[in-house]
Amino acid sequence: MTDRLTILGIESSCDDTAAAVLRVEDGAELMSSVVSGQTDLHEAYGGVVPEIAARAHAERLDLMVEQAVQQAGVSLNDIDVIAVTAGPGLIGGVLSGVMCAKGLAMGLGVPLVGVNHLAGHALTPRLTDGVSFPYLMLLVSGGHCQFLRVDGPDDFTRLGGTIDDAPGEAFDKVAKLLGLPQPGGPVVEQAAKQGDPKRFPLPRPLLDRDGCDMSFSGLKTAVLRTRDGLVADQGGLHEQDRADLCASFQAAVRDVLAEKSRRALAGQSDLTCFAVAGGVAANQTLRAALEDVARAHGVPFLAPPLTLCTDNAAMIAWAGWEAYRDGQRDGMDLSARPRWPLDRTSPALIGSGKKGAKA
Amino acid sequence: MPSDALILGFDTSAAHCAAALLSGDRVIAARQEDMGKGQAERLMPLVQEVLAEADVALPDLSAIGVGIGPGNFTGIRISVAAARGLALSLGIPAIGVSLLDCLAFGADAPVLACLDARRDHLYLQRFAEGAGKGPALVPFDAVSEWALPGLTCVGQRAEEVAERIGATHAPAAFAPACAIARIAATRWQTPQPRPAPLYIRTPDAAPARDTGPVMLP
Repeated sequence: MTDRLTILGIESSCDDTAAAVLRVEDGAELMSSVVSGQTDLHEAYGGVVPEIAARAHAERLDLMVEQAVQQAGVSLNDIDVIAVTAGPGLIGGVLSGVMCAKGLAMGLGVPLVGVNHLAGHALTPRLTDGVSFPYLMLLVSGGHCQFLRVDGPDDFTRLGGTIDDAPGEAFDKVAKLLGLPQPGGPVVEQAAKQGDPKRFPLPRPLLDRDGCDMSFSGLKTAVLRTRDGLVADQGGLHEQDRADLCASFQAAVRDVLAEKSRRALAGQSDLTCFAVAGGVAANQTLRAALEDVARAHGVPFLAPPLTLCTDNAAMIAWAGWEAYRDGQRDGMDLSARPRWPLDRTSPALIGSGKKGAKA
Repeated sequence: MPSDALILGFDTSAAHCAAALLSGDRVIAARQEDMGKGQAERLMPLVQEVLAEADVALPDLSAIGVGIGPGNFTGIRISVAAARGLALSLGIPAIGVSLLDCLAFGADAPVLACLDARRDHLYLQRFAEGAGKGPALVPFDAVSEWALPGLTCVGQRAEEVAERIGATHAPAAFAPACAIARIAATRWQTPQPRPAPLYIRTPDAAPARDTGPVMLP
């Protein structure tokens, strides 16, 4: 039996401004979770522009907080803890979120807890399904892609991850170079449905190497080369060419994720489940392949609902609650961190030099 | 008789962290620390120190005034986001105040408020009866278009601007946080929009180059 606590979560590390209210008593009840996206603001630029994102966050955060509190049917005075994404991510947005949270925490006189955005994703299966430790997490969200063994709310071991682009970025870039709209995930999947996944032999990067590290940048370049070859030959692309390219690309991503997941699972024991968080779980082809891998390994497969897999503040409220329960309290001098790896011991995959690992 | 309204003003739009507390028409506590970075960590503790010095608690505040720039984009957002969060939690208004308004506040009109926008540009605003102009981002070489008889230049690079356009220059009458609190005090009792950054300069972003292939029938 725990005391009843109401936690406000705030998230603004990329291009979604989000707030959520979570109530924890004997169980957890997500009372509200609101997200304001910025796809329209970045559309013309073919990717998220950090300064544009930061500008939007700064003027939306308090509005989202008001909306979340209202939808939850509580008042701000009912909030006991404020949890906010303090990194990693686009620093302008993270900073705006952290400052708004500080203002709220100071004004309400309640504790502030800075949350690692990746921990939010990685702990989501505990919010949605009450999963116990340890479990294996394939975190594929936005710019992130890593395999994490999760042994506790602050105990993560990275088994491998992308050394360059994440699949989400690769889907976006492939969509862009094939003249499809953003975000790329759903549109490439849609186009691939009419395509032949075997028509174009695209590479399966790093499959020939041991371990769970991945690479998707070269795959994207291979799609670009194939496109340019077709354009040189025939002066453009037919709808079918595009569908076949999408299907071939998606099949390559599927093969890499499935094989690396198999290896990640093979190296672990006592796992309660294989959880997948992120947009990748929304892709039927990728999801089916990952479910097969879990089944073959004899562990339950778990993918939280998409609204809690893409960026949201419910996961921040939950991760904030786990940290708060374990004694974490942050001061008014809490920093926003562009780089903040979950696993602080494994060597960095992305980002090095004196600034250290990125994520 | 009601006690004097307490207005908290703060600003991080330039290389400083500044806060001031106004009671009626008196500044009862103020701090300004120069710093090139670290404002996000320092701002709230500084605000707490200013309040503690005057023995004022947050619920005693009537309103918050916050600097909205123009200036350092990140710095502006630090203060604006904090002010919006603080105002929401206290249920009091937050008033966004332009730093150009701050420079003109308490000066003899007509005034040309100047802020360094770097890359040899300035943010300018002219405050003059019937001849107001700006705010705008102006190349230093184009400041002559902002001349006016009897004009006093105030702010960053004011002396250079004054020399270029044949005007006089003067120091600002108030430090930024004090001016912000004083200006907010004149506005807080009428409904105001939530504070929004005054960037003037648009974000650096180029439209996507690769627009995709020609689609064949």
